[in-house]
Amino acid sequence: MKQDLIYFLPELIVSITVLFLFLLDCFIGKRSRRIFPVIAFIGIAAMMLANKSSSPLPSARFFSDMMVFDHVSVLFKYIFGLAGLIAIVIANGSHELEKVDKANYFTLLTALVLGMMLLANAHHFLMIYLSLEMVSLLSYILTGSLQGSRRSSEASLKYVIYGGVASGIMAYGISILYGLTGSMTLTGVAEFLRMNAVSKTALYTSVLMIMAGFGFKVASVPFHMWCPDVYEGAPTPFTAFLSVGPKAAGFAVLLRFFFGALSQTTTSGIEPIKIIGLPALLGGLSIATMTLGNLAALQQKSMKRLLAYSSIAHAGYMLLALVALNAEAVTGVIFYLSVYLLMNLGAFLVLIIVGDQLGSEDISVFQGLSKRGPFAALLSIVMTVFMFSLTGIPPMAGFIGKFYLFGSVIKSGHYTLAVIGMLNSVVSLYYYIRVVKIMYFDEPVDGRNLTTPMVSHASTVFALALLTIYLGLFWNGLANIVGQAKLF
Amino acid sequence: MPMIELKDIAFIILALITLGSAGGVAFSKKIIYSGFSLLGSLFGVAGLYILLSNDFIAATQLLIYVGGVLILILFAIMLTSKIGDIAVTNKSINWKVAIPIIAGLACFLISSFSGDIWKVADKTPYQSSVSFIGNALLKEFLLPFEVISIVLLCALIGSIVILKREVK
Repeated sequence: MKQDLIYFLPELIVSITVLFLFLLDCFIGKRSRRIFPVIAFIGIAAMMLANKSSSPLPSARFFSDMMVFDHVSVLFKYIFGLAGLIAIVIANGSHELEKVDKANYFTLLTALVLGMMLLANAHHFLMIYLSLEMVSLLSYILTGSLQGSRRSSEASLKYVIYGGVASGIMAYGISILYGLTGSMTLTGVAEFLRMNAVSKTALYTSVLMIMAGFGFKVASVPFHMWCPDVYEGAPTPFTAFLSVGPKAAGFAVLLRFFFGALSQTTTSGIEPIKIIGLPALLGGLSIATMTLGNLAALQQKSMKRLLAYSSIAHAGYMLLALVALNAEAVTGVIFYLSVYLLMNLGAFLVLIIVGDQLGSEDISVFQGLSKRGPFAALLSIVMTVFMFSLTGIPPMAGFIGKFYLFGSVIKSGHYTLAVIGMLNSVVSLYYYIRVVKIMYFDEPVDGRNLTTPMVSHASTVFALALLTIYLGLFWNGLANIVGQAKLF
Repeated sequence: MPMIELKDIAFIILALITLGSAGGVAFSKKIIYSGFSLLGSLFGVAGLYILLSNDFIAATQLLIYVGGVLILILFAIMLTSKIGDIAVTNKSINWKVAIPIIAGLACFLISSFSGDIWKVADKTPYQSSVSFIGNALLKEFLLPFEVISIVLLCALIGSIVILKREVK
């Protein structure tokens, strides 16, 4: 048990932070609310340090096979920690969240990070279900945290209803899988499937049902309907977090499910369980997801909705790598998630800076942004970096990310899928570049100039842009770290 | 013809009670009827637990869902003023499309789950499950047990956050 706690140290630190913040809320008056983001920040930063110190430990399962520790889990904890830290910086000082109770917002955000960490390392279906519910519940609450805003409440309610249905279907699927295999752990299921024959249709049905829960988290078709409305209604600083954090957690559990429960590692590498046509299922889902996301994004007027559909499309690209089901796919997905974290949070932060000052979140707010004073000119360059990176144009990090994703697909021999993925990137070029076009070639609708925002926002947005370019030029360091990560 | 055992008959009766009442919840035009139909559904599930010789879970199902949650729901309905004036949102629309879809789905599920496909647990003589559950919660299921407490705490505080008035 003592050994188990060493593996659990990062989660423990975040749990203690959450509980401490809840308690602190009872004793601290309205005036010293500023301390909450600071403590949340310190807690998550401490988690990342503990995570670093635990990284040399060998892979293990702990707490009676409930959780798993491996290098993939270490990497995911870094992603969640970084997403949490940036989300705290973004939320702190945003105009939109002025009326929201800071104490609760930051506490619940930290708890959300904890939920994602548990989800990414869960090995038992009970833990998967519980932590998925934790992530969902907290997402509903934070989506609806704008009091008095109809849009925010509506988004939250929609999210609850879709989420309830999705997790209900998932629980049904898990119970069928348990009925078929008699095991509740991922590796237990794989072991049973390797040794025994099971009914193909029943297994296929249960996997599809379980995909409802995971697909809902990553916003893949046909469980994407919540995404545009929730992204639009939620406070933008939280939307930014929602688009990277829970999505990354969803992919973590997808990786674990497909590689842990439905594949086997043989001498020649990873092989999917033959009994079900996993590549066909996932390939279909991923093509539908990216095509729908890209086509719907073409006609959006609201920047938040555009980014919502773009996030659906990016989920499609990452699902594409899962089709390959090889070691490169794990690398590809984790590398892409880390790059996506930087560029998407960056794009949202630009939107928050611009939207806070000009009072709108439509794409039209970017019209002639480069002509709104010196800071705006600089911000336009930064936004261009993010847009190019999201499209996947070299030398931005997004290009390298897509290179790894499509590389894993090509290596597995699914050439058609890779071509469809690339064609989709071309479609996405249209709506990303349109934003760049109107920033530079259109005239601003009024004479207002953009003033410099608070230091934390400005420095974060520039740091994210620099990192996006840096990883586009010198990706080897990150790629090596990610490439060495082994599942289980 | 295969022998129909007594437990199969019991299962069919309990399943019919559960599903029939669930239908009542979904299709009732008045919310109070939906609330009362829920009673049958929750009772049926408790019966299914007993059929699986899970005495403790069945008792908690009765105590918490029937005795607690359902009574709360009924009180909430009865104490809400003008609840009859609310426009009914669960009208049956598009049933011509829905019935074939649901029938197809039901046929698919029944056909894929019927037959001898399940892993059957070893038969053991009936034992009270209380001590087993207590041990499991403090041994191999300790982590989920603790995580649930954090999840519930967050949900509790979150619901207060949503309901609370704006901070001035």
